[in-house]
Amino acid sequence: MHRPNETFGRQPNVQRHLCARARRGFLQFLTFIIALVFFTATGLLAQQAKPSEYQVKAAYLYNFGRFIKWPAGIAASKGDSFPVCVLGRDPFGPILDSTLAGEALEGKPVVIRRIAKEQDAADCRILFVSSTEENHLKEILAAIDQAGVLTVSDIPGFSRRGGMIQFVVEGDRIRFEINLATAESAKLVLSSELLKVAAAVRRNTRSGD
Amino acid sequence: MFKAQKHSISRKLTWMNMLVSGAALLLACAAFIAFDMITFRQAMLRNLSTQAQIIGSNSISALLFNDPQSAENTLLALKAAPNILSAQVYLTDGRPFASYSRDRDRHRTVLPPIPSRQTETHWVEDDQIALVRLIVLDGKPIGAVYIRSDLQELRGRLQRYAIIAAIVLSACLLAALLISSIFRRAVAEPIVNLSKIAKVVSRDKNYSVRATSIRSPAELAILIDAFNEMLTQIQQSEKALRKAHDELEQRVQERTAELEAAKKEVEEFSHSILLAKEEVERGSRFKDQFLSTMSHELRTPLNAVLGFSDLLADERYGPLNDRQQRYVAHIHTGGKHLLKLISDILDLSKIEAGRMELAREDVTVASAFSEVISALYPLAEKKSQALLQQVEPNLQVHADAMRFKQVLMNLAGNAIKFTPESGRIELLAHQVDDQVRVEVRDNGPGIPAEQQQRIFEAFFRLTETGSATEGTGLGLAITSRLVELHGSKLGIESRPSEGACFYFSLPLIASTPNQTIQTSTPVPRARNAPRILIIEDNAATGQLIQSQLASSGYETLRCDKPERARDMAAELQPDAVTLDLLMQPVHGLEVLLQLKNDPRTSKIPVIVVTIVDQPGVGTALGADEYLIKPVDKATLLAAVERCLRSRGGAAPARTILVVEDDVSTLEMIVELLKGYGYAVSTAADGEQARVSVAQSLPELVILDLVLPKMSGFELLAEWRSNPRTADLSVFVLTSKDLTKEEDKYLRAHAESLFRKQNAWREPLIKQLERVVTSPSLENA
Repeated sequence: MHRPNETFGRQPNVQRHLCARARRGFLQFLTFIIALVFFTATGLLAQQAKPSEYQVKAAYLYNFGRFIKWPAGIAASKGDSFPVCVLGRDPFGPILDSTLAGEALEGKPVVIRRIAKEQDAADCRILFVSSTEENHLKEILAAIDQAGVLTVSDIPGFSRRGGMIQFVVEGDRIRFEINLATAESAKLVLSSELLKVAAAVRRNTRSGD
Repeated sequence: MFKAQKHSISRKLTWMNMLVSGAALLLACAAFIAFDMITFRQAMLRNLSTQAQIIGSNSISALLFNDPQSAENTLLALKAAPNILSAQVYLTDGRPFASYSRDRDRHRTVLPPIPSRQTETHWVEDDQIALVRLIVLDGKPIGAVYIRSDLQELRGRLQRYAIIAAIVLSACLLAALLISSIFRRAVAEPIVNLSKIAKVVSRDKNYSVRATSIRSPAELAILIDAFNEMLTQIQQSEKALRKAHDELEQRVQERTAELEAAKKEVEEFSHSILLAKEEVERGSRFKDQFLSTMSHELRTPLNAVLGFSDLLADERYGPLNDRQQRYVAHIHTGGKHLLKLISDILDLSKIEAGRMELAREDVTVASAFSEVISALYPLAEKKSQALLQQVEPNLQVHADAMRFKQVLMNLAGNAIKFTPESGRIELLAHQVDDQVRVEVRDNGPGIPAEQQQRIFEAFFRLTETGSATEGTGLGLAITSRLVELHGSKLGIESRPSEGACFYFSLPLIASTPNQTIQTSTPVPRARNAPRILIIEDNAATGQLIQSQLASSGYETLRCDKPERARDMAAELQPDAVTLDLLMQPVHGLEVLLQLKNDPRTSKIPVIVVTIVDQPGVGTALGADEYLIKPVDKATLLAAVERCLRSRGGAAPARTILVVEDDVSTLEMIVELLKGYGYAVSTAADGEQARVSVAQSLPELVILDLVLPKMSGFELLAEWRSNPRTADLSVFVLTSKDLTKEEDKYLRAHAESLFRKQNAWREPLIKQLERVVTSPSLENA
C-alpha cells in the first residue's frame, strides 16, 4: 500500500519511520496484551483447581459419550435425557454434578442418577460401577447385557471381566482400557479416536478368563 | 555511411521486433507468475489450514483424554509434507501439548492470539508461513494447532518459472529475430534499395535507373512507384531541356552566323559611308576654301578701289573739280555697297550652309549698346535723329559678342535709314523672367502688316522707301538668321506711321546685383579700347558721360556705389576714372583719397567731373583733371585723352610696320598712315616682316594674315614667344574669314582686329591714336 506521492515529499522519512515503528509497536503491544490475558486466564484457572482424580474421571465420563454411538433404537427407548448413572457408593460426590451440569449429549441433557440396584441400570446410557460393587460385578453386567449401556469403572480388571471401559492410572495420568468386544456386542460403536487414546484395547470377549 | 544506413534501418526493425515481443512476453510472464504465485500461496495456505484442521480434529480425543502421545502420533503424519517445518498442539492455557519438528530443532513459539470470532490466523515471517487454528469442540476451544511451513516450494516454483520464462523468452526472441528478418526483406530491403538508387541518382545524375517495384507494403510500393515516376519525369524533362539547350545552341550558332554576315554588311556599308563622308567632307572643304578665297579675292581689289577713291576725295594730291569729286564719291559709294553686298552674301551663305560658328561668351548688353551707339552716332547725327539707349544695369547674355553687335548694328542701322529726319531711335534691354529682351525701336513710318511676314527674306526691300541704292536687302535676313543661331527669334511689332519695333530675347546670365558693371570674365588686357570707369551715383549723369565716352570708342564701366569704387578700380584696372564729388554715402573726395592711397589704384588717372567749383582742392588731393559741370563732350574727351597720353608717357616716336603682300593695299595703308603723320615702314611678306622686327622694334605692327613665305599667325606666334617682342602691339587687318579658333587666338595675342570687309579705316586711325603717341601732335 503506497501513499500518494505528494505526501511523500512533504513528510520527512524519519517521521514515516517513526509512524511505522509506532504502528508495529502498537500491534506488538496489543498482541502481548491479548496473549497475556489469554494465558493468565487459563493459567489462573489451572492454578486455581489442580484437577483431582475424580474430577478428571467425571470429565472422562462425559467425554466418552462424545465418541460413542448408540444404536438408534436404544437411543430412542431411553427417553429424552441422557442419563449417566453411578451404581454403588458414589466416589465423585458433587464433582460429578458440577462437571456435568448443563451439558448435553446427542442433543439431550445429561442427567445424573445414583442407583443402588443393577436393575435400574438398564435405562442408563453410561453406567459407572463403583468399586463397592466389585463383588457382584457379574450380575450387574449380566443385567444390562444387550441394554446398550456403556459400562465404566475403576475396578481393577474390569475390562477383562466383561466391563467396557476401565480407568487406569499411569503415573500422574489417568488413562483407560477398552474392551471393544463387549462394547460391540452391546451394539455400541466406539470412535477410533477413542480407541486411539485408550491405554489398551481388548478385542477378544473374555481374554482374561 | 551507406552501410551504416542499411544497418541502421534493418537493425532498428530487428530491435523493434525484439523489444516489442520481449517486452510483451516479459510482461505476460510476470503477470502469469505473479498470478500463479498468489494462487499458489493461497492454495498453500488453504492446504496448511486443512492440515491444521485435520490435526485439530484428530487431536480432540487426545486432548480430551490428555494423551499427548496420541497427538504426537497424529502430528507425525506431517512427515509426509516436507514443507512443514514444525507443528504444535497447545492446550487452552497455552501449554504445549504435543509437538513435531522436521529438523528436530524445536523452536518454541509463543502462540499468537487468535482474533475473537475467528478460529484461524496466519502470518508470514522469515520466509516462513505460520498458521494457528483453534481446536473447537461443541463451540468451545479445547486447544490450538500451530503449523509452520517454509516457502521452499513457492521459491522452487518461482525458480522453475523463471527458468521456463527465460527459455520461453529466448525462444520467442529467436522467433522474433527470424520473423524480423522476413520483415526486413519485406520493408527494409526496398527502402535500402530505394535509398541506394536515390544515392546513385543524386551522385551520378543518372535518371535512367529505377527502383525495383514491390507489391507490399502498400505505402512503400506507392513510394517506390512515385519515386520511379518522378525519375521518369525528371528524365523526360531533362531530355527536353537538353534538346532545348541543343536547339538553342544551334540557334545561337545560326544567329551568330547571321549576325556576322550582318556585321560584314554593316562594315561594308559603313566603309562606303565613310567613303561618302570623305567625299562630302572634301566637297565641304572645297566649298569652305571657295568661300574663303572668294572673300579674300573679292575684297582685296575692292579695298584698293575704296581706299584710293578715299585718298582722291581727300584732295591730298591736288584739288579736284566738282565733277571729279562727284565721280570719286560715286566710285566710293559703289565700292562700299559692293563690299557690303559681298560680305552679306558670304555671311548668308555661310549661315545657310550651317558653317557659321558662334564664339559665345558673356556679353554685357550695356557695353554692346554703347559700342553700337558710338558707331552709328555719326549716321544718326547726320539725320538729326536722337539715338538713345535704355538698358537695365548688369544685364548679361551668353552670345557671340561680334554677332550680337552685328545684329544690333543692322537693326539700328535700318532704323536710322528708314526713320525720317529728327526721328528717334531707341535701343532697349530689360529683364523679362529669366530672359533679356532686346528691342530696337523707332518712330518711323512703320512696316505694313502684309510685309511683316516677308521682311526677313533675302533681297526683300520695302517698296515705299524708294531708297533702293541703300542696303543690300540682306541685312534683315542675316540678322534674323543670326538671332536664330543664338536660339531665339527675331520678332517685329509695327503699325504704319507709328514706328516699328524689332525684338528678340536671350537667356539672362545670373549675376549678383553687386557686380554691377563688372564683366564676369575679366577681359584680357587687349589694348583695343581704353577702359574708363565712371564713378557716379546719379544714373542720368552717369549714362550721359558713358554715352559720350562710348561714342568715342572708349570702353566704359559704371560704378554707382562709391563705397565700392576703390575695389572696382583695383579689380578692373581702368585706364582712367571719372569721379563725381557729391555722392552718397561716401563723398567723392574720400573716394579720391582712397584711390590715390591704394598702391593698386594710385597710378590710375582721375578726372573729377562735378558741379563743385573747387579745382584747387581736387588737384591738391591728386585729381589729374578737374571739370565743372555742365561738361560738353569735347571738353570731356580732351581731358580723357590728356590723361591717357600722360599715362602712356612721352616715348620717342617709332615707326609703324605695315605687313601686307597686296601692293595696292599696302600703298593705300601707307598713304593713310602718312596722312595722319605716322612714320611707316613696310614688309611685303612674312619673312621681310620678321627680319624687320628683328632689326629694329617698331612702335606697332599692322599685320595681314594671308602672307607669302610666313603667315601672320606664324609671325604672331614667334613674336609672342620672344620676350623682346612679347609686348609688341599688333593690329591685325585682314579679309580672311576667321574660324572660331583663329578668332580666339587673335583676341588673346593681338591688340586689335580689323576686317577689310567692314569699314576699317576710321576705327584703325582712332585706335592708333589711343595706342601710339601721335607724332602728328608733336610735329604740329
